[in-house]
Amino acid sequence: MYSASNISYRVRDKVILQNIHLNIEPGTFTAIVGPNGAGKSTLLKVMTQEHTHYLGEVTINGKAARSFTPRELSWVRAVLPQITTVQFTFSVEQIVMLGRHGHHSTKKENADILEEVMELTGIAAFRERNFLTLSGGEQQRVQLARVLAQVWEETVYPRYILLDEPTSSLDIAQQQLIFSLAKKVCERNIGVMAIIHDLNQAVQFADHLYFLRNGNIVASGDAQQVFTKSNIEETFCCRVNVYHDPCNNCPYIIPERTASHLAINK
Amino acid sequence: MNLALTIRDYRTTFILTGLGLSLFAVVLFSLTIGAVSIPVKDVAVIILQKIGLFKSIEVDGMYEIVLSTIRIPRIIMTILIGASLGISGAALQGLFRNPLVEPSLIGVSGGSASAVVLFIVFGGPAVMDVTGWIYNAILPLLAFAGGLLATFIVLRLSSQSGRTNIAVLVLTGVAINALAGAIIGLSIFYADENQLRTFTFWTLGDLGGASWSKLMIASPLLISSSLGLIFFSSSLNALALGEAEAYHVGVNVEQTKRIVIFLAALSVGVSVSLAGMIGFIGLIVPHVIRVSFYADNKLVLPASILGGALLLVLADVIARTIVTPSELPIGVVTALIGAPFFIGLLLNAKTKNEL
Repeated sequence: MYSASNISYRVRDKVILQNIHLNIEPGTFTAIVGPNGAGKSTLLKVMTQEHTHYLGEVTINGKAARSFTPRELSWVRAVLPQITTVQFTFSVEQIVMLGRHGHHSTKKENADILEEVMELTGIAAFRERNFLTLSGGEQQRVQLARVLAQVWEETVYPRYILLDEPTSSLDIAQQQLIFSLAKKVCERNIGVMAIIHDLNQAVQFADHLYFLRNGNIVASGDAQQVFTKSNIEETFCCRVNVYHDPCNNCPYIIPERTASHLAINK
Repeated sequence: MNLALTIRDYRTTFILTGLGLSLFAVVLFSLTIGAVSIPVKDVAVIILQKIGLFKSIEVDGMYEIVLSTIRIPRIIMTILIGASLGISGAALQGLFRNPLVEPSLIGVSGGSASAVVLFIVFGGPAVMDVTGWIYNAILPLLAFAGGLLATFIVLRLSSQSGRTNIAVLVLTGVAINALAGAIIGLSIFYADENQLRTFTFWTLGDLGGASWSKLMIASPLLISSSLGLIFFSSSLNALALGEAEAYHVGVNVEQTKRIVIFLAALSVGVSVSLAGMIGFIGLIVPHVIRVSFYADNKLVLPASILGGALLLVLADVIARTIVTPSELPIGVVTALIGAPFFIGLLLNAKTKNEL
């Protein structure tokens, strides 16, 4: 389990996060939703230990995250950012291989992992190509492969991947692809946490859902159960209607057209 | 299935071997030419005799003196400085994720130069008259300290909560270089005629001052810092993704930054103290390697060592031969090659919208 307990974080006097409790269970998909400025990305950075001046405790598999070295952290958690800019010309394969940086595995082991993750993400066909010449969707799949390569080995301890709005600049098919790949790897004793903007996507893929607003968790729990009109309206200050999609057997929302002014007064 | 990776491993070895052989050839050629030209055969024999082989073969005594007191120390110094500037440039470019960074841009050279100039004008003469070796020992250390201080200031001013803003970094570098220029100018104002001439040559770079005693002190510093930087190739590769991403894959980013900058300041500082300001090597060499081959730092760092040495030895050959019996300042030659190249680099980057 990857847990945040009683996390508070402030920058100067501004409170960004307040008394956050959050758990990522191995083998499950946890989504975090919330309006802009709710503190989602900050929470992710606290979880990954990019921000360390927080109050409270983050534990990974029962051990305090603060006590991990960067290398030890890389063995248990990988992070996929929104966009990764690469300054120099690296091939797809070289980028994916960077995920293995912190590991002491052999060349053979690395090569095998490389093949598996490239196969899964469908990037093997352009393995030799310059990363910078790829489309946005392809680039993000390459980065996902890198993230997967980092935590791919089956270990006695569970591993985690954290995704920070990983699909924000992708087309709809690529978005679904990224999330379904993330969902699929949960099978490998991997816990997934994703910040997701699209509520319908969040409820489609997530097992657990956290609603974050103004640095507080407004609601959390089983994704389909907490995906209610009142939770969504309270979190986003936007009137919505919740329907049921029989095809995915999953709820979905449509926002009301007249609801826009509510967000101004939140 | 890992055939591609195997080929890549051999590719790196192949490129490095090629560069190494070219360097060897250019070095040998460079040793033969000068005011006295020495046949390659004699150069080879004398070098082999130095390392204890072919004692029985007779060689011209003058050839031996020219080689062992002038050309060999000079070529060793040239190789070491070229190598140090090359790998420092490569490592700093990797660290700052910017192909336009070179040691002088982040203030290393300016800081080293001002420290050295201040010492020579205001503190040097007294020490210099007493013992040569103290002078030789203090100068590289001072140059190093000056370079490190300047880099530290630049880095400090351009970083906020552990992150370095590249635009601010470049601007701060410009400011620190201007300050260094003022310090150098001020020192020159107080310098006498003789020092003035020395300065002029020194700021243009001068490999002519090579001697075994200088090398004794400088070479361990240059070799260890250059080799030390090679160990960061993998971390620098990860840094190509960005600092946060490098941290996520297990790089201790802050530590890497500190050590890489320390080693680069050491190499450049010591190089500046030996031969003055030699520009553009640290900028061009890594870039050419990335463009001609690929950007993997496992290649770029060692290849920049060899390529930097190769380019500086070549530039030195040109500097020594083009106006014999006199010689051009090495900095003039590297700048003549480097400036058009740098402009080309900027234009190319502009069309690709990388700037």
